[in-house]
Amino acid sequence: PSAADRNAQACFLNCCLTLACANQIIFCNLLQAYAKFAGAPLIVNTINNSWSSPKADVPVLISEDIVISQPAKILNFLRKQRYNADYELSAKQGADTLAYIALLEEKLLPALLHTFWVEAENYCSVTKPWFASRIPFPLSLYLPGKMSREALNRILLTRGGPPLYSLTEVEAQIYRDAKECLNLLSKRLGTSQFFFGNTPTTLDAFVFGFLAPVYKVCFPRVQLQEHLKELTNLCRFCDDILTCYFKLTVTDG
Amino acid sequence: MKSAEPWPENAALYQQLKEDQILLSDNAASLAVQAFLQMCNLPVRVVCRANAEYMSPSGKVPFIHVGNQVVSELGPIVQFVKAKGHSLSDGLDEVQKAEMKAYMELVNNMLLTAELYLQWCDDVTVEEITHPRYGSPYPWPLNRILSYQKQWEIRRKMKAIGWAGKSLEQVLEDVDQCCQALSQRLGTQPYFFNKQPTELDALVFGHLFTILTTQLITDELSEKVKNYGNLTAFCRRIEQQYFEGHDKDSSATASARCAKRSLLR
Repeated sequence: PSAADRNAQACFLNCCLTLACANQIIFCNLLQAYAKFAGAPLIVNTINNSWSSPKADVPVLISEDIVISQPAKILNFLRKQRYNADYELSAKQGADTLAYIALLEEKLLPALLHTFWVEAENYCSVTKPWFASRIPFPLSLYLPGKMSREALNRILLTRGGPPLYSLTEVEAQIYRDAKECLNLLSKRLGTSQFFFGNTPTTLDAFVFGFLAPVYKVCFPRVQLQEHLKELTNLCRFCDDILTCYFKLTVTDG
Repeated sequence: MKSAEPWPENAALYQQLKEDQILLSDNAASLAVQAFLQMCNLPVRVVCRANAEYMSPSGKVPFIHVGNQVVSELGPIVQFVKAKGHSLSDGLDEVQKAEMKAYMELVNNMLLTAELYLQWCDDVTVEEITHPRYGSPYPWPLNRILSYQKQWEIRRKMKAIGWAGKSLEQVLEDVDQCCQALSQRLGTQPYFFNKQPTELDALVFGHLFTILTTQLITDELSEKVKNYGNLTAFCRRIEQQYFEGHDKDSSATASARCAKRSLLR
């Protein structure tokens, strides 16, 4: 895979951190602090080992505890570390950030989880080999399977239940919701470069983090990717960020 | 879009028993739907049944019975009402609609989950309030079995979304973040989208009013909301406009727990 693809497969949370501190390239300190914040030894190890850490490709599970379910916490954390992309935002825009992050988590995340971890072809041919190659033996034997089961569990617990009785019905619903979410994001972005004007903010980081894996990773089953490609402004948004900000990190990686 | 059939007179909304059984989160959901229907000027009778949860097509309350159709939860009810030709958000442009949906997800993601956490994962509240209330219409041992079963189900879900490891303080902090965002978005406007209420206003009202008027073990949760004056004023405004002077059994003026408190002091 090309450098751009590898980057796109890199941690979306790293993207968040990158954008927030685009002017101050102190990744190591930030990531170690982040790892402490995450509190999981696995993450610390992999960050030390390689830039494209596995949690990158698992934005949907490990990072969850840090990012998705507590977006406010990560925002506060970043601000405390004086990495603040949101100086220019008004109070209302700050509130909008929180709301859109909730939208991403509720509507887009289940479909992402499914695409990466539950869809059998995708999981077996892309996710599992990629993930397993980046974590040490013997974790690589059982961790991917565990994450896959947890992803399915999460989808069924949060979105399953009557009147949806089979996995196929749940899957259909979550992809419908994800497509609607992408449409809403596209409408909100319109023709602007970023979500709040001309400079990237935390919301841009989050949206990029969710969209980049869908946009760039080559999966066999790609219904979400096809839908995303029709929303040209979102594709342009991802491409802009990749060219502007990820060239920077490749040299530091 | 003209509706195929007009709204029937005997439309009914079903929820659990008001005084003894209904819990915080269900009361909030029910109130949100009632507020929404009031805002659309669609009359509905509130019917309290102990087995409302089991009658519902999705297992969640409230649900409405309109003509020969049964629809549960706010989202589907909004769609259903729209199909009948009534909508509160038609006047919004695309960007505003996206924003409205995002804020509704914020309320579901943070406020509702916090309510569920408090009810089912905080041991003191579970012992003293939830267990006695949830199974109250049923004889022993069914009452205990049902509430343990529900508790297990909710705790599984909390674990899956990463909330099981949170402490009560963290949950209250999340509630505060959410209220702050809502307060900032509302600003000094009467409703979230200025002059006209939308389903977002109904949803926010349902949750905030219930939190403010439900007596729990401590006042910590309602204090979080009270910190934001414009939110309490918002609830008062909606209570006055859409619930005062109606049938005094309406859920808004006789909500949850023992002490009935109105916001108008």
